[in-house]
Amino acid sequence: MLYRRRKLDLPRGELDTPVLFPVRNIGKRSSDNTPTYVGTIPEFSAAMINARSIRNRDPMWQRISNGVTLREEMDVPEDTIVFADSGGFDFANEEVDTTPAKTLDTQSQLDADILGTVDIPLSRENRAAENQRRIDQSIEYALKASDHHDGVGLLFASVHGYDPETIRNNIQYLEKNGEFDGYALGSMVPIRTDYKKITKLILSARNATDKHLHVYGLGGLVYQPLLLYLGVDSFDSSAFIRSAGNRNYLIPGFGGEEIRNIEELDRLPCPCPVCGQKELDEIREDRTALTQHNLWALATELRRFRYVAESGRDIEEYLDLRFSGNEVTKRAYETAKQQMRRLT
Amino acid sequence: MSDAFTITDEQQDYSQYDLEANPFPYSPVPAEDPEIYCGQQHVSDKISSTVSSMLSTGKSKHLVVTGKYGNGKSHTLKYTRSLLRGRDDVVVGYVAQPGEGFLDIYHEFVYDLGFNRLQELAYEFLASVARDVTDTNPIGASGMESLIDEGDVLLSEIVPESIRRLSDVTKFADFARAIIHMVYEDTNLYAWQWLTAEGIRYEQRKEMEIHSALDDDTMGVRAFTALKNMLLELGYTGIFVFVDEFESIARLSPKDEQATLNSIRHLMDQNSSGLCMLFGCAPEVWQDVMSEYHAFSERIGEEVALKPLTSENLYELVRDYLDQERVSSTENEGIDPFSEEALDLILQTSQGNIRQVLSMCSRILDDAAKSQENKITVAWAEGKI
Ligand SMILES: [Zn+2]
Repeated sequence: MLYRRRKLDLPRGELDTPVLFPVRNIGKRSSDNTPTYVGTIPEFSAAMINARSIRNRDPMWQRISNGVTLREEMDVPEDTIVFADSGGFDFANEEVDTTPAKTLDTQSQLDADILGTVDIPLSRENRAAENQRRIDQSIEYALKASDHHDGVGLLFASVHGYDPETIRNNIQYLEKNGEFDGYALGSMVPIRTDYKKITKLILSARNATDKHLHVYGLGGLVYQPLLLYLGVDSFDSSAFIRSAGNRNYLIPGFGGEEIRNIEELDRLPCPCPVCGQKELDEIREDRTALTQHNLWALATELRRFRYVAESGRDIEEYLDLRFSGNEVTKRAYETAKQQMRRLT
Repeated sequence: MSDAFTITDEQQDYSQYDLEANPFPYSPVPAEDPEIYCGQQHVSDKISSTVSSMLSTGKSKHLVVTGKYGNGKSHTLKYTRSLLRGRDDVVVGYVAQPGEGFLDIYHEFVYDLGFNRLQELAYEFLASVARDVTDTNPIGASGMESLIDEGDVLLSEIVPESIRRLSDVTKFADFARAIIHMVYEDTNLYAWQWLTAEGIRYEQRKEMEIHSALDDDTMGVRAFTALKNMLLELGYTGIFVFVDEFESIARLSPKDEQATLNSIRHLMDQNSSGLCMLFGCAPEVWQDVMSEYHAFSERIGEEVALKPLTSENLYELVRDYLDQERVSSTENEGIDPFSEEALDLILQTSQGNIRQVLSMCSRILDDAAKSQENKITVAWAEGKI
């Protein structure tokens, strides 16, 4: 069992882990379409933002440069914890238009609590040599960030690799040559359907460091319990927004359900503050409500796992049940279990 | 019926002969790493000179050891292999028989080297590159492996450079990629399968960016030459290939036989340095090869023939075996409890075939111990043969 509970010591206080950082769209489009959740879902007093897209939105960046805080822009309390990633995900197809120093500067102007280093994502479609170059570049960026980091906020080095050796090797190398408070695994999204691979990669990272381990982009309903089982300390997800956009209703244990398949129902199978009060008709018409429910679904998933662990129940038994419904995820979990056994 | 078999783990007592145990092999199959070679001086001399010449000059040299079935060809090859295995400047592989063609010889050779050895070679190559492009100084394969695990060098820094250099050295980029993939746990089995010419699926090849399939004799020669060039680059003196039961090429169709011989010839032509091939072959098949395939036999050039044992050879052989189990090692008891006449009889019955000789000695010694004979006389042995 690698599941673990820790506390992160951040400028704005302590943050209990494992934790999910809901992804905020701020800066990405004309307006941030994320509904209020800070303050309504207690454990989600945190957010993942994209430092690059905020910096590149001129009017917003000017306001921030003139003293408006990021949290004001986001309309959240000042003690909201912010993880600012570099926006490296966008470099999959675009040229890198920043430097480690510039990104750090942006992240500190945003008063970010956690800073992710600049990275260039990999792709399965790339030639191996190109991916090697990208891995190398991301390592170099991380080391530069370590040199420039003034110690305010935690610095997480972004790590990429599609094989266990590379992940292990990168983390050890960064551990020797830089100063980081944790590591964040990137490039997982393009290979997210290869559960076996993802599991291996996460385990190799988990074994290479005892420090905080974040996994970028895989915090959806299906992956969440798997990541918790594998000892990941934090993850992020935009699944709640994306699903709402597709009129997809998330239910722990079932995954997503398209609302049009259940139109005849009056009440939904969820007691959250949204579904507990409203009828399906109302929720269907209200994308914000649907988004909020979806976030509650992610919170419920996390709460259940914690409950199972805390009450001394057998987590593997819980996961056996939890993954029994879907052949693909079941196999993924079986693989994870085997790999785990081999470790102990 | 319950006492039809008597199964016991009690050891037969050989102490009356001053022996710890019966030293002769029960099954007359050559040991994997024979400790005794009691052979024929002219054969040892010839092999020594062939092997030494390649070791000292680095120039390729090849030899055929002929001898009738049971005269010790396999034993000779395996004994030579066990001597060379102790050296860390050469790579040695044994091929039990040539199979259907050169690709099978290549396959058996790489298989005999083994997965771990090949993986070590991959690490050694990475080490040579790491010494060059980083300020680390890895010693050997395990040194390199721990530098990677500990994060002292960056894989993404040395791997592309290693593939580039190894492609240069071997003129075979796919081979280079396969070798380097031996260090990745996710792909090393596929890499191994490709390198042993076992064949892998297209998707697996694609994952390693390997474009070609290693599936015919030409590719086998190319891969073998690539491997040898890599070894020379790493500072090895060369490769030794032992091909046993070469006579079985006579079972192939004339076309396949010719193709196999041609491939071996090409291999020799492409490797004028760093390669020593030793063949074990029945004399009649070698005669045919000599007369029909000049191009091939010219390149081998040298032949040495194992002869049937003489009684002097046999006394020496039996003494060496017995010495292995002698309790009082200071006293040389010669061939006791065998009498010379008894051994002569064994030699005569076996027509000098070492394989049969050994199994007869083994059986007779057991029988003698059971019936508590003091001496194995010719009269007593006669009843037992
Ligand atoms: Zn709900």
